[in-house]
Amino acid sequence: MISGTGKGMGHFEMDLQLKAQELVSVLNEGKLSDAMEIIQELHEFRHQTFFSEVGHLTRGLHEAIKSFSTELGSSLEIDDGSPVQEDADAADRLNYVIEITEKNAHDTMDRVDKALSLVDKLDSQSERFKDLLSLVGQLEKEHDSLNGVYDRTCAVKEESEQTIGILREELTDIVVSQSYQDITGQLIRRVINLVTNVETHLVGLMEMAAQVERLSGVEILSGTDDQQTNKKNPIQAEGPQINKESADVVSNQDEVDDLLSSLGF
Amino acid sequence: MNKDMKILVVDDFSTMRRIIKNLLRDLGMTNVQEADDGQTALPILKQGGIDFLVTDWNMPGMTGIELLKEVRSDPKLAPMPVLMVTAEAKKEQIIAAAQAGVNGYVVKPFTAAVLKEKIDKIFERLG
Repeated sequence: MISGTGKGMGHFEMDLQLKAQELVSVLNEGKLSDAMEIIQELHEFRHQTFFSEVGHLTRGLHEAIKSFSTELGSSLEIDDGSPVQEDADAADRLNYVIEITEKNAHDTMDRVDKALSLVDKLDSQSERFKDLLSLVGQLEKEHDSLNGVYDRTCAVKEESEQTIGILREELTDIVVSQSYQDITGQLIRRVINLVTNVETHLVGLMEMAAQVERLSGVEILSGTDDQQTNKKNPIQAEGPQINKESADVVSNQDEVDDLLSSLGF
Repeated sequence: MNKDMKILVVDDFSTMRRIIKNLLRDLGMTNVQEADDGQTALPILKQGGIDFLVTDWNMPGMTGIELLKEVRSDPKLAPMPVLMVTAEAKKEQIIAAAQAGVNGYVVKPFTAAVLKEKIDKIFERLG
């Protein structure tokens, strides 16, 4: 994104050498006023190069941020009914990531809650099973063929109770692991702050650069806006399944996966 | 430990509030109220009736450490046990929380066992 920097400085060096040689030759000829003029030219030239470089860097950074927003945009826009607007900035997009991860964390916990209530049901069934089992215990004394069935069934029941206990622990761990949403959310908020700060300062820098351009006549913020073409191509740099028009055919899970993977999760 | 005690869980992330609520429920404590930052938590605390405060640190509005200091400076609230559950893991921060009078400090991400252990420890000490 930030291009042309080396070339500009190289050009500066070359011109500097030419001017220096010129300076030496006019000095050798004793043309002092000409020499002063050249020194003045060098001075102005240095300033122009400096402002031009700052302009290039500013422009490059600005485009990098715009391109970041656009790239994020094309991966978010596949979400049908997405609240993120096409012109939303990077901060909006990142806030949307927090919202989506929050929603998904709650969806997971809803399911775990349902699963836990099923585990409770298994627990109460186990109680009823115990009652039935004691009946087998009584019958065992009357029927030789039932010998040992009570003990063996008790062992199975105990095993299943242990399994229920482990299942409960696993489900609780799933709930606790949803804390990733909080952790990542806090980090994303920091990035949002950073991006917002950079954008604010960048606007200041752009304004300053424009003013310098106006005052000195140095053309530093010119060039074609590549982003215009990018914006008109919403499927750019994404897989074939990403199509804005047919967003409804993309499954929910895929949408979330794409969103997260595009952010490096 | 009184299982009926009223607990206030303060965190700006609803995910985390729910996780803590679920874990407290597993410990038999179901009387739980929620707030999303110190500013909303403080009036609830001042209304009275809360026995135990579980709070995050990094929140917009009023942070957990500010809330803790408010609690300790209010004669009515000062004796309340406070557990901090936070991603803030710098030594200086933990020290500052301890100096402000925190009763326990759990660093995110945590396990159910850790949270239970810290809560047990707090109420053991209080007797």
